[in-house]
Amino acid sequence: MVKIKYVERPELTNRERIFFVDFIKGMRVTFRNLLRKTVTTAFPFEKLTPPKRFRGTHAHRVKNGKEPPSFKVIEKFMDIDTGESRCVACYMCMQACPVPFLFNIEAVQLPDGRKKVVRFDMNLLNCMYCGLCTEACPVDCLIMTDIYETASYHRASCVLHIDDMAKRGIDFDRRRYDEPDRIWIDDDQRSKLWGQIKWS
Amino acid sequence: MELLGTVIGVTVKSLIFIIVMFLAAAYLTLLERKFAGHVQQRPGPLHVGPHGFLQPIADALKVLTKEDLVPDSVDKVLFYMASLLAFVPAIMILAVVPFGEPFTIFGLEIKPYVTDLNIAILLALAFGSLSIYGVIFAGWASNSKYPMIGGLRKAAVLIGYEVALGFAMVGPIMQAGSFSLREIVEAQSGMWFIIPNILAFVVIIFAILAETGRTPFDVQEAEAELVGGYVTEYTGMKFGLFPLAEWYIATFVLSAIAVILFFGGWQPLPLMGWLPIPDIIWFFIKVFLLFMFFLWVHWTLPRYRVDQITELAWKVMLPLALANILVVALWIIFIG
Repeated sequence: MVKIKYVERPELTNRERIFFVDFIKGMRVTFRNLLRKTVTTAFPFEKLTPPKRFRGTHAHRVKNGKEPPSFKVIEKFMDIDTGESRCVACYMCMQACPVPFLFNIEAVQLPDGRKKVVRFDMNLLNCMYCGLCTEACPVDCLIMTDIYETASYHRASCVLHIDDMAKRGIDFDRRRYDEPDRIWIDDDQRSKLWGQIKWS
Repeated sequence: MELLGTVIGVTVKSLIFIIVMFLAAAYLTLLERKFAGHVQQRPGPLHVGPHGFLQPIADALKVLTKEDLVPDSVDKVLFYMASLLAFVPAIMILAVVPFGEPFTIFGLEIKPYVTDLNIAILLALAFGSLSIYGVIFAGWASNSKYPMIGGLRKAAVLIGYEVALGFAMVGPIMQAGSFSLREIVEAQSGMWFIIPNILAFVVIIFAILAETGRTPFDVQEAEAELVGGYVTEYTGMKFGLFPLAEWYIATFVLSAIAVILFFGGWQPLPLMGWLPIPDIIWFFIKVFLLFMFFLWVHWTLPRYRVDQITELAWKVMLPLALANILVVALWIIFIG
Protein backbone atom coordinates (compact mmCIF):
# COMPACT_ATOMS: atom_id res chain seq x y z
CA MET A 1 0.00 0.00 0.00
CA VAL A 2 1.41 3.31 -1.06
CA LYS A 3 1.18 5.99 1.55
CA ILE A 4 0.39 9.47 0.34
CA LYS A 5 1.46 12.47 2.31
CA TYR A 6 -0.54 15.59 1.64
CA VAL A 7 1.40 18.81 2.00
CA GLU A 8 -0.23 22.18 2.52
CA ARG A 9 0.78 24.83 0.06
CA PRO A 10 2.52 27.57 2.07
CA GLU A 11 0.46 30.73 2.13
CA LEU A 12 2.18 34.01 1.34
CA THR A 13 2.35 36.51 4.15
CA ASN A 14 1.00 39.97 3.52
CA ARG A 15 4.49 41.43 3.52
CA GLU A 16 5.54 39.01 0.77
CA ARG A 17 2.38 39.68 -1.17
CA ILE A 18 2.62 43.48 -1.19
CA PHE A 19 6.33 43.91 -1.86
CA PHE A 20 6.78 41.00 -4.35
CA VAL A 21 9.38 39.32 -2.13
CA ASP A 22 9.54 36.11 -4.15
CA PHE A 23 9.83 38.09 -7.36
CA ILE A 24 12.78 40.05 -5.97
CA LYS A 25 14.45 36.84 -4.78
CA GLY A 26 14.20 35.38 -8.28
CA MET A 27 15.54 38.54 -9.85
CA ARG A 28 18.50 38.42 -7.47
CA VAL A 29 19.30 34.87 -8.54
CA THR A 30 19.34 35.74 -12.25
CA PHE A 31 21.41 38.85 -11.61
CA ARG A 32 23.98 36.84 -9.68
CA ASN A 33 24.14 34.35 -12.53
CA LEU A 34 24.59 37.20 -14.99
CA LEU A 35 27.85 38.19 -13.30
CA ARG A 36 29.23 34.65 -13.15
CA LYS A 37 31.63 33.17 -15.65
CA THR A 38 30.16 31.05 -18.42
CA VAL A 39 30.60 27.29 -18.11
CA THR A 40 30.33 26.29 -21.76
CA THR A 41 32.88 24.81 -24.13
CA ALA A 42 33.22 26.19 -27.65
CA PHE A 43 32.73 22.70 -29.01
CA PRO A 44 34.18 22.40 -32.50
CA PHE A 45 37.19 24.48 -31.53
CA GLU A 46 37.67 23.20 -28.03
CA LYS A 47 37.10 19.52 -27.24
CA LEU A 48 36.99 17.96 -23.83
CA THR A 49 38.60 14.55 -23.34
CA PRO A 50 36.04 12.19 -21.87
CA PRO A 51 36.97 9.91 -18.98
CA LYS A 52 38.37 6.49 -19.83
CA ARG A 53 35.15 4.76 -18.85
CA PHE A 54 33.18 6.88 -21.33
CA ARG A 55 30.78 4.81 -23.43
CA GLY A 56 31.58 5.95 -26.95
CA THR A 57 31.96 4.17 -30.29
CA HIS A 58 32.72 0.46 -30.00
CA ALA A 59 36.08 -1.11 -30.80
CA HIS A 60 37.76 -4.53 -30.76
CA ARG A 61 40.87 -5.32 -28.79
CA VAL A 62 43.39 -7.24 -30.89
CA LYS A 63 45.48 -10.29 -30.15
CA ASN A 64 48.57 -8.73 -28.60
CA GLY A 65 49.65 -10.98 -25.73
CA LYS A 66 47.60 -9.25 -23.07
CA GLU A 67 44.61 -11.56 -23.40
CA PRO A 68 42.75 -12.93 -20.37
CA PRO A 69 43.09 -16.69 -19.60
CA SER A 70 39.69 -17.41 -21.15
CA PHE A 71 41.14 -16.48 -24.52
CA LYS A 72 44.28 -18.61 -24.02
CA VAL A 73 42.07 -21.68 -23.56
CA ILE A 74 40.23 -21.21 -26.81
CA GLU A 75 43.14 -19.78 -28.80
CA LYS A 76 44.24 -22.98 -30.52
CA PHE A 77 40.79 -23.52 -31.97
CA MET A 78 40.73 -20.06 -33.60
CA ASP A 79 42.37 -18.75 -36.76
CA ILE A 80 43.58 -15.40 -35.41
CA ASP A 81 46.95 -13.79 -36.17
CA THR A 82 48.65 -11.28 -33.91
CA GLY A 83 47.25 -7.82 -34.56
CA GLU A 84 43.84 -9.10 -35.63
CA SER A 85 40.64 -8.76 -33.65
CA ARG A 86 40.48 -11.32 -30.88
CA CYS A 87 36.76 -11.92 -31.34
CA VAL A 88 35.83 -15.59 -31.02
CA ALA A 89 32.23 -15.21 -32.31
CA CYS A 90 30.65 -16.51 -29.10
CA TYR A 91 27.55 -14.34 -29.63
CA MET A 92 27.55 -13.30 -25.97
CA CYS A 93 27.35 -9.63 -26.92
CA MET A 94 24.33 -10.35 -29.05
CA GLN A 95 22.73 -12.25 -26.16
CA ALA A 96 23.28 -9.36 -23.80
CA CYS A 97 22.13 -6.69 -26.21
CA PRO A 98 18.65 -5.18 -25.73
CA VAL A 99 18.45 -4.71 -29.51
CA PRO A 100 20.11 -7.93 -30.71
CA PHE A 101 19.54 -7.43 -34.41
CA LEU A 102 22.05 -4.61 -34.56
CA PHE A 103 24.78 -7.28 -34.50
CA ASN A 104 25.58 -9.25 -37.61
CA ILE A 105 28.17 -11.88 -36.67
CA GLU A 106 29.31 -14.71 -38.94
CA ALA A 107 31.99 -17.32 -38.47
CA VAL A 108 33.12 -20.18 -40.75
CA GLN A 109 35.01 -23.40 -40.18
CA LEU A 110 38.25 -23.63 -42.08
CA PRO A 111 39.34 -26.97 -43.72
CA ASP A 112 41.83 -27.56 -40.91
CA GLY A 113 38.97 -27.42 -38.36
CA ARG A 114 39.68 -24.02 -36.86
CA LYS A 115 37.07 -21.23 -36.57
CA LYS A 116 37.42 -17.91 -38.37
CA VAL A 117 35.32 -14.82 -37.75
CA VAL A 118 34.47 -13.37 -41.16
CA ARG A 119 31.94 -10.75 -40.20
CA PHE A 120 31.26 -8.63 -37.14
CA ASP A 121 29.02 -5.69 -38.02
CA MET A 122 27.32 -3.38 -35.56
CA ASN A 123 24.63 -1.01 -36.73
CA LEU A 124 25.17 1.89 -34.33
CA LEU A 125 21.98 3.61 -35.51
CA ASN A 126 20.12 1.12 -33.30
CA CYS A 127 22.62 1.19 -30.46
CA MET A 128 21.77 2.93 -27.20
CA TYR A 129 25.33 2.75 -25.83
CA CYS A 130 24.29 0.90 -22.70
CA GLY A 131 27.57 -1.02 -22.58
CA LEU A 132 26.02 -4.43 -21.78
CA CYS A 133 27.81 -6.04 -24.72
CA THR A 134 31.22 -4.99 -23.44
CA GLU A 135 30.47 -6.46 -20.02
CA ALA A 136 29.33 -9.72 -21.61
CA CYS A 137 32.45 -10.19 -23.73
CA PRO A 138 34.36 -13.19 -22.25
CA VAL A 139 37.69 -12.47 -23.96
CA ASP A 140 37.82 -8.71 -23.25
CA CYS A 141 37.51 -8.05 -26.97
CA LEU A 142 34.55 -5.72 -27.44
CA ILE A 143 35.20 -2.40 -25.67
CA MET A 144 33.85 1.13 -25.82
CA THR A 145 36.18 4.00 -26.60
CA ASP A 146 36.19 7.72 -25.85
CA ILE A 147 35.22 8.66 -29.42
CA TYR A 148 31.91 10.52 -29.42
CA GLU A 149 31.75 12.29 -32.78
CA THR A 150 29.73 9.68 -34.64
CA ALA A 151 27.67 11.76 -37.05
CA SER A 152 28.01 10.97 -40.75
CA TYR A 153 26.33 11.67 -44.05
CA HIS A 154 25.19 8.14 -44.88
CA ARG A 155 23.50 5.43 -42.91
CA ALA A 156 25.95 2.92 -44.30
CA SER A 157 28.85 4.65 -42.60
CA CYS A 158 27.16 4.25 -39.23
CA VAL A 159 27.72 0.46 -39.45
CA LEU A 160 30.98 -0.69 -37.86
CA HIS A 161 33.01 -3.47 -39.46
CA ILE A 162 35.54 -5.75 -37.82
CA ASP A 163 38.62 -4.16 -39.42
CA ASP A 164 37.68 -0.61 -38.40
CA MET A 165 36.93 -1.80 -34.90
CA ALA A 166 40.31 -3.53 -34.59
CA LYS A 167 42.05 -0.39 -35.81
CA ARG A 168 40.12 1.78 -33.38
CA GLY A 169 40.91 -0.65 -30.56
CA ILE A 170 44.66 -0.46 -31.31
CA ASP A 171 44.44 3.33 -31.33
CA PHE A 172 42.46 3.49 -28.08
CA ASP A 173 44.77 1.09 -26.24
CA ARG A 174 47.83 3.02 -27.43
CA ARG A 175 46.38 6.23 -26.02
CA ARG A 176 44.73 5.15 -22.82
CA TYR A 177 45.46 1.49 -21.91
CA ASP A 178 47.92 2.39 -19.14
CA GLU A 179 45.81 5.16 -17.72
CA PRO A 180 44.46 4.33 -14.25
CA ASP A 181 40.75 3.64 -14.36
CA ARG A 182 39.14 6.65 -12.72
CA ILE A 183 35.76 8.13 -13.22
CA TRP A 184 37.15 11.56 -14.06
CA ILE A 185 40.60 12.25 -15.40
CA ASP A 186 42.91 14.96 -14.11
CA ASP A 187 42.42 17.08 -17.17
CA ASP A 188 43.38 20.72 -17.36
CA GLN A 189 40.20 21.62 -19.21
CA ARG A 190 38.12 19.62 -16.77
CA SER A 191 39.64 21.29 -13.73
CA LYS A 192 39.26 24.67 -15.41
CA LEU A 193 35.55 24.07 -15.80
CA TRP A 194 34.60 22.12 -12.70
CA GLY A 195 37.48 22.67 -10.32
CA GLN A 196 39.87 20.05 -8.94
CA ILE A 197 38.21 16.83 -7.88
CA LYS A 198 39.51 15.16 -4.72
CA TRP A 199 39.93 11.37 -4.90
CA SER A 200 39.44 9.30 -1.81
CA MET B 1 5.25 75.86 -50.22
CA GLU B 2 4.94 75.54 -46.48
CA LEU B 3 2.71 72.49 -46.91
CA LEU B 4 5.28 70.88 -49.20
CA GLY B 5 7.99 71.47 -46.60
CA THR B 6 5.87 69.87 -43.90
CA VAL B 7 5.10 66.85 -46.07
CA ILE B 8 8.77 66.35 -46.96
CA GLY B 9 9.82 66.81 -43.34
CA VAL B 10 7.29 64.33 -42.02
CA THR B 11 8.10 61.78 -44.75
CA VAL B 12 11.84 61.99 -44.11
CA LYS B 13 11.36 61.77 -40.36
CA SER B 14 9.00 58.78 -40.67
CA LEU B 15 11.45 56.98 -42.95
CA ILE B 16 14.30 57.64 -40.54
CA PHE B 17 12.21 56.44 -37.59
CA ILE B 18 11.10 53.26 -39.36
CA ILE B 19 14.55 52.32 -40.66
CA VAL B 20 16.33 53.12 -37.41
CA MET B 21 13.69 51.23 -35.45
CA PHE B 22 14.10 48.22 -37.75
CA LEU B 23 17.87 48.17 -37.30
CA ALA B 24 17.55 48.82 -33.58
CA ALA B 25 15.11 45.92 -33.27
CA ALA B 26 17.59 43.67 -35.07
CA TYR B 27 20.27 44.58 -32.58
CA LEU B 28 17.87 44.30 -29.65
CA THR B 29 17.58 40.61 -30.61
CA LEU B 30 21.34 40.30 -30.17
CA LEU B 31 21.12 42.13 -26.85
CA GLU B 32 18.38 39.83 -25.65
CA ARG B 33 20.23 36.69 -26.75
CA LYS B 34 23.42 37.82 -25.05
CA PHE B 35 21.52 38.71 -21.89
CA ALA B 36 19.60 35.43 -21.88
CA GLY B 37 22.82 33.52 -22.45
CA HIS B 38 24.69 35.09 -19.59
CA VAL B 39 21.74 34.65 -17.25
CA GLN B 40 21.99 30.93 -18.01
CA GLN B 41 25.82 30.99 -17.79
CA ARG B 42 26.43 30.50 -21.50
CA PRO B 43 27.91 33.14 -23.79
CA GLY B 44 25.13 33.49 -26.37
CA PRO B 45 25.99 34.24 -30.02
CA LEU B 46 29.78 34.29 -30.23
CA HIS B 47 30.93 33.22 -33.65
CA VAL B 48 29.67 35.64 -36.32
CA GLY B 49 31.84 38.71 -36.00
CA PRO B 50 33.48 39.81 -32.76
CA HIS B 51 31.33 38.48 -29.89
CA GLY B 52 28.53 37.73 -32.33
CA PHE B 53 28.16 41.34 -33.37
CA LEU B 54 27.10 40.47 -36.94
CA GLN B 55 24.67 37.76 -35.83
CA PRO B 56 21.50 39.88 -36.46
CA ILE B 57 22.58 40.43 -40.07
CA ALA B 58 23.18 36.72 -40.57
CA ASP B 59 19.81 35.99 -38.99
CA ALA B 60 18.05 38.54 -41.19
CA LEU B 61 19.64 37.06 -44.32
CA LYS B 62 18.64 33.59 -43.23
CA VAL B 63 15.04 34.52 -42.42
CA LEU B 64 14.64 36.49 -45.66
CA THR B 65 15.93 33.65 -47.85
CA LYS B 66 13.81 30.96 -46.19
CA GLU B 67 11.08 29.36 -48.23
CA ASP B 68 7.78 31.07 -47.48
CA LEU B 69 5.29 28.25 -47.02
CA VAL B 70 1.56 28.90 -46.87
CA PRO B 71 -0.43 25.87 -45.69
CA ASP B 72 -3.25 24.76 -47.94
CA SER B 73 -6.22 25.24 -45.64
CA VAL B 74 -5.42 28.63 -44.13
CA ASP B 75 -7.52 31.74 -44.62
CA LYS B 76 -5.14 33.35 -47.11
CA VAL B 77 -6.14 36.99 -46.63
CA LEU B 78 -6.03 36.95 -42.86
CA PHE B 79 -2.92 34.79 -42.86
CA TYR B 80 -0.97 37.35 -44.88
CA MET B 81 -2.53 40.29 -43.10
CA ALA B 82 -1.89 39.05 -39.57
CA SER B 83 1.87 39.40 -39.65
CA LEU B 84 1.60 42.92 -41.05
CA LEU B 85 -1.15 43.78 -38.60
CA ALA B 86 1.09 42.81 -35.72
CA PHE B 87 4.02 44.77 -37.09
CA VAL B 88 2.66 48.01 -38.56
CA PRO B 89 0.64 49.36 -35.59
CA ALA B 90 3.54 48.59 -33.25
CA ILE B 91 5.85 50.76 -35.30
CA MET B 92 3.16 53.42 -35.83
CA ILE B 93 3.13 54.26 -32.13
CA LEU B 94 6.54 55.82 -32.81
CA ALA B 95 4.75 58.64 -34.65
CA VAL B 96 3.65 60.23 -31.40
CA VAL B 97 6.65 59.44 -29.20
CA PRO B 98 8.66 62.62 -28.56
CA PHE B 99 12.37 61.89 -28.23
CA GLY B 100 13.45 65.32 -27.08
CA GLU B 101 12.92 69.04 -27.27
CA PRO B 102 13.09 70.80 -30.66
CA PHE B 103 16.64 71.81 -31.52
CA THR B 104 18.25 73.87 -34.30
CA ILE B 105 20.89 72.68 -36.76
CA PHE B 106 22.13 75.00 -39.58
CA GLY B 107 19.28 77.39 -38.92
CA LEU B 108 16.75 74.60 -39.42
CA GLU B 109 14.50 73.79 -36.51
CA ILE B 110 14.20 70.04 -36.11
CA LYS B 111 11.56 68.48 -33.92
CA PRO B 112 12.61 64.98 -32.84
CA TYR B 113 9.08 63.61 -33.17
CA VAL B 114 6.87 63.00 -36.19
CA THR B 115 3.80 64.72 -34.84
CA ASP B 116 2.58 66.21 -31.59
CA LEU B 117 -1.03 65.12 -31.41
CA ASN B 118 -3.18 66.36 -28.57
CA ILE B 119 -4.58 62.80 -28.20
CA ALA B 120 -1.21 61.09 -28.51
CA ILE B 121 -1.64 58.76 -25.56
CA LEU B 122 -5.02 57.54 -26.79
CA LEU B 123 -3.46 56.84 -30.18
CA ALA B 124 -0.67 54.87 -28.54
CA LEU B 125 -3.22 52.83 -26.58
CA ALA B 126 -5.32 52.21 -29.68
CA PHE B 127 -2.42 51.07 -31.86
CA GLY B 128 -1.01 48.99 -29.03
CA SER B 129 -4.29 47.08 -28.87
CA LEU B 130 -4.56 46.90 -32.66
CA SER B 131 -1.26 45.09 -32.95
CA ILE B 132 -2.69 42.38 -30.69
CA TYR B 133 -5.29 41.72 -33.36
CA GLY B 134 -2.42 40.46 -35.49
CA VAL B 135 -1.85 37.69 -32.96
CA ILE B 136 -5.53 36.82 -32.74
CA PHE B 137 -5.94 36.83 -36.54
CA ALA B 138 -2.85 34.68 -36.93
CA GLY B 139 -4.32 32.17 -34.50
CA TRP B 140 -7.65 32.11 -36.29
CA ALA B 141 -6.39 32.15 -39.87
CA SER B 142 -3.92 29.30 -39.38
CA ASN B 143 -6.82 26.83 -39.20
CA SER B 144 -4.92 24.62 -36.81
CA LYS B 145 -5.55 23.86 -33.18
CA TYR B 146 -2.40 25.12 -31.45
CA PRO B 147 -2.36 28.57 -33.08
CA MET B 148 -6.05 28.92 -32.39
CA ILE B 149 -5.60 28.14 -28.68
CA GLY B 150 -2.76 30.66 -28.60
CA GLY B 151 -4.83 33.36 -30.28
CA LEU B 152 -7.83 32.78 -28.03
CA ARG B 153 -5.63 32.86 -24.93
CA LYS B 154 -4.23 36.18 -26.06
CA ALA B 155 -7.76 37.51 -26.62
CA ALA B 156 -8.77 36.42 -23.11
CA VAL B 157 -5.72 38.09 -21.58
CA LEU B 158 -6.22 41.20 -23.73
CA ILE B 159 -9.62 41.96 -22.23
CA GLY B 160 -8.15 41.77 -18.74
CA TYR B 161 -5.08 43.93 -18.99
CA GLU B 162 -6.30 46.58 -21.45
CA VAL B 163 -8.84 47.87 -18.92
CA ALA B 164 -6.22 48.15 -16.19
CA LEU B 165 -3.78 49.75 -18.64
CA GLY B 166 -6.29 52.41 -19.65
CA PHE B 167 -7.11 53.30 -16.05
CA ALA B 168 -3.44 53.32 -15.04
CA MET B 169 -2.71 55.96 -17.67
CA VAL B 170 -5.31 58.28 -16.13
CA GLY B 171 -3.06 59.32 -13.25
CA PRO B 172 -0.30 61.04 -15.25
CA ILE B 173 -2.91 62.53 -17.58
CA MET B 174 -4.73 64.09 -14.61
CA GLN B 175 -1.51 65.58 -13.27
CA ALA B 176 -0.37 66.95 -16.61
CA GLY B 177 -3.82 68.06 -17.70
CA SER B 178 -3.15 66.94 -21.25
CA PHE B 179 -3.19 63.92 -23.55
CA SER B 180 -0.16 65.14 -25.46
CA LEU B 181 2.98 63.19 -24.60
CA ARG B 182 5.16 66.27 -25.10
CA GLU B 183 3.14 68.29 -22.61
CA ILE B 184 3.17 65.37 -20.16
CA VAL B 185 6.97 65.42 -20.28
CA GLU B 186 7.10 69.19 -19.86
CA ALA B 187 4.81 68.97 -16.82
CA GLN B 188 7.42 66.73 -15.14
CA SER B 189 10.25 69.28 -15.11
CA GLY B 190 9.87 69.74 -11.35
CA MET B 191 9.12 66.20 -10.19
CA TRP B 192 8.57 62.95 -12.00
CA PHE B 193 5.09 61.47 -12.00
CA ILE B 194 6.41 58.24 -10.45
CA ILE B 195 6.04 59.86 -7.00
CA PRO B 196 2.26 59.78 -6.54
CA ASN B 197 1.70 57.26 -9.38
CA ILE B 198 3.71 54.32 -8.03
CA LEU B 199 0.63 52.05 -8.08
CA ALA B 200 -0.06 52.94 -11.70
CA PHE B 201 3.56 52.15 -12.53
CA VAL B 202 3.17 48.62 -11.16
CA VAL B 203 0.02 48.20 -13.24
CA ILE B 204 1.76 49.52 -16.36
CA ILE B 205 4.68 47.11 -15.91
CA PHE B 206 2.16 44.27 -15.68
CA ALA B 207 0.23 45.49 -18.73
CA ILE B 208 3.34 45.95 -20.89
CA LEU B 209 4.57 42.46 -20.03
CA ALA B 210 1.14 41.07 -20.93
CA GLU B 211 0.80 43.11 -24.10
CA THR B 212 4.22 42.22 -25.48
CA GLY B 213 3.86 38.57 -24.50
CA ARG B 214 6.98 38.43 -22.37
CA THR B 215 7.53 35.56 -20.07
CA PRO B 216 5.35 35.68 -17.01
CA PHE B 217 2.42 36.26 -19.37
CA ASP B 218 3.53 34.62 -22.63
CA VAL B 219 0.48 32.35 -22.77
CA GLN B 220 0.02 32.92 -26.50
CA GLU B 221 3.19 31.09 -27.49
CA ALA B 222 3.85 28.87 -24.45
CA GLU B 223 6.32 26.76 -26.37
CA ALA B 224 6.15 23.92 -23.87
CA GLU B 225 2.38 23.56 -24.28
CA LEU B 226 1.41 24.95 -27.67
CA VAL B 227 4.29 23.96 -30.01
CA GLY B 228 4.89 27.54 -31.19
CA GLY B 229 1.57 29.08 -30.23
CA TYR B 230 0.10 31.42 -32.81
CA VAL B 231 3.20 31.28 -35.06
CA THR B 232 3.14 27.50 -35.50
CA GLU B 233 2.06 27.62 -39.15
CA TYR B 234 4.25 30.57 -40.15
CA THR B 235 7.58 30.42 -41.94
CA GLY B 236 10.19 32.81 -43.26
CA MET B 237 9.88 36.54 -42.81
CA LYS B 238 6.15 36.31 -42.02
CA PHE B 239 7.25 34.38 -38.95
CA GLY B 240 10.12 36.72 -38.25
CA LEU B 241 7.87 39.77 -38.10
CA PHE B 242 5.94 38.48 -35.08
CA PRO B 243 8.73 38.29 -32.52
CA LEU B 244 10.31 41.38 -34.04
CA ALA B 245 7.07 43.32 -33.56
CA GLU B 246 6.04 41.89 -30.21
CA TRP B 247 9.24 41.29 -28.31
CA TYR B 248 11.37 44.11 -29.59
CA ILE B 249 9.51 46.98 -31.25
CA ALA B 250 6.44 46.87 -29.01
CA THR B 251 8.51 46.44 -25.88
CA PHE B 252 10.80 49.27 -26.88
CA VAL B 253 7.99 51.65 -27.83
CA LEU B 254 5.91 50.86 -24.78
CA SER B 255 9.00 51.31 -22.60
CA ALA B 256 9.30 54.74 -24.20
CA ILE B 257 5.67 55.49 -23.34
CA ALA B 258 6.19 54.34 -19.76
CA VAL B 259 9.32 56.49 -19.47
CA ILE B 260 7.38 59.48 -20.76
CA LEU B 261 4.51 58.88 -18.38
CA PHE B 262 6.46 58.17 -15.19
CA PHE B 263 10.16 58.99 -15.53
CA GLY B 264 10.11 62.45 -17.03
CA GLY B 265 10.84 61.63 -20.67
CA TRP B 266 13.94 63.49 -21.76
CA GLN B 267 14.45 65.26 -18.41
CA PRO B 268 17.84 64.36 -16.92
CA LEU B 269 18.11 62.00 -13.97
CA PRO B 270 17.85 63.80 -10.61
CA LEU B 271 21.07 65.51 -9.44
CA MET B 272 22.70 64.78 -12.82
CA GLY B 273 21.30 67.73 -14.77
CA TRP B 274 24.75 69.42 -14.90
CA LEU B 275 26.22 66.65 -17.08
CA PRO B 276 26.72 67.72 -20.73
CA ILE B 277 24.37 65.07 -22.12
CA PRO B 278 21.73 66.05 -24.70
CA ASP B 279 18.12 65.35 -23.83
CA ILE B 280 17.68 62.70 -26.56
CA ILE B 281 20.50 60.67 -24.99
CA TRP B 282 18.85 60.94 -21.56
CA PHE B 283 15.65 59.63 -23.09
CA PHE B 284 17.37 56.66 -24.68
CA ILE B 285 19.27 55.86 -21.48
CA LYS B 286 16.00 55.65 -19.57
CA VAL B 287 14.26 53.61 -22.25
CA PHE B 288 17.23 51.26 -22.42
CA LEU B 289 17.20 50.74 -18.65
CA LEU B 290 13.48 49.98 -18.68
CA PHE B 291 13.91 47.63 -21.64
CA MET B 292 16.66 45.79 -19.77
CA PHE B 293 14.32 45.51 -16.81
CA PHE B 294 11.75 43.79 -19.02
CA LEU B 295 14.43 41.41 -20.34
CA TRP B 296 15.47 40.66 -16.78
CA VAL B 297 11.90 39.84 -15.78
CA HIS B 298 11.47 37.74 -18.92
CA TRP B 299 14.47 35.54 -18.21
CA THR B 300 13.65 35.14 -14.52
CA LEU B 301 10.03 34.24 -14.08
CA PRO B 302 8.04 31.15 -15.04
CA ARG B 303 4.72 31.36 -16.85
CA TYR B 304 1.32 32.10 -15.34
CA ARG B 305 -1.79 30.24 -16.39
CA VAL B 306 -4.43 32.15 -18.35
CA ASP B 307 -6.95 32.08 -15.51
CA GLN B 308 -4.29 33.37 -13.12
CA ILE B 309 -3.51 36.26 -15.46
CA THR B 310 -7.12 37.28 -15.90
CA GLU B 311 -7.65 36.92 -12.17
CA LEU B 312 -4.62 39.10 -11.51
CA ALA B 313 -5.77 41.65 -14.06
CA TRP B 314 -9.35 41.97 -12.85
CA LYS B 315 -8.95 41.40 -9.11
CA VAL B 316 -5.62 43.09 -8.40
CA MET B 317 -4.50 45.37 -11.19
CA LEU B 318 -7.82 47.06 -11.96
CA PRO B 319 -8.48 47.99 -8.28
CA LEU B 320 -4.87 49.18 -8.03
CA ALA B 321 -5.36 51.42 -11.06
CA LEU B 322 -8.58 52.81 -9.62
CA ALA B 323 -6.93 53.38 -6.23
CA ASN B 324 -4.18 55.21 -8.05
CA ILE B 325 -6.71 57.60 -9.54
CA LEU B 326 -7.98 58.35 -6.02
CA VAL B 327 -4.44 58.87 -4.70
CA VAL B 328 -3.58 61.21 -7.54
CA ALA B 329 -6.83 63.15 -7.11
CA LEU B 330 -6.11 63.68 -3.41
CA TRP B 331 -2.52 64.62 -4.26
CA ILE B 332 -3.72 67.24 -6.74
CA ILE B 333 -6.23 68.68 -4.25
CA PHE B 334 -3.92 68.87 -1.24
CA ILE B 335 -0.40 69.27 -2.62
CA GLY B 336 -0.64 70.77 -6.03
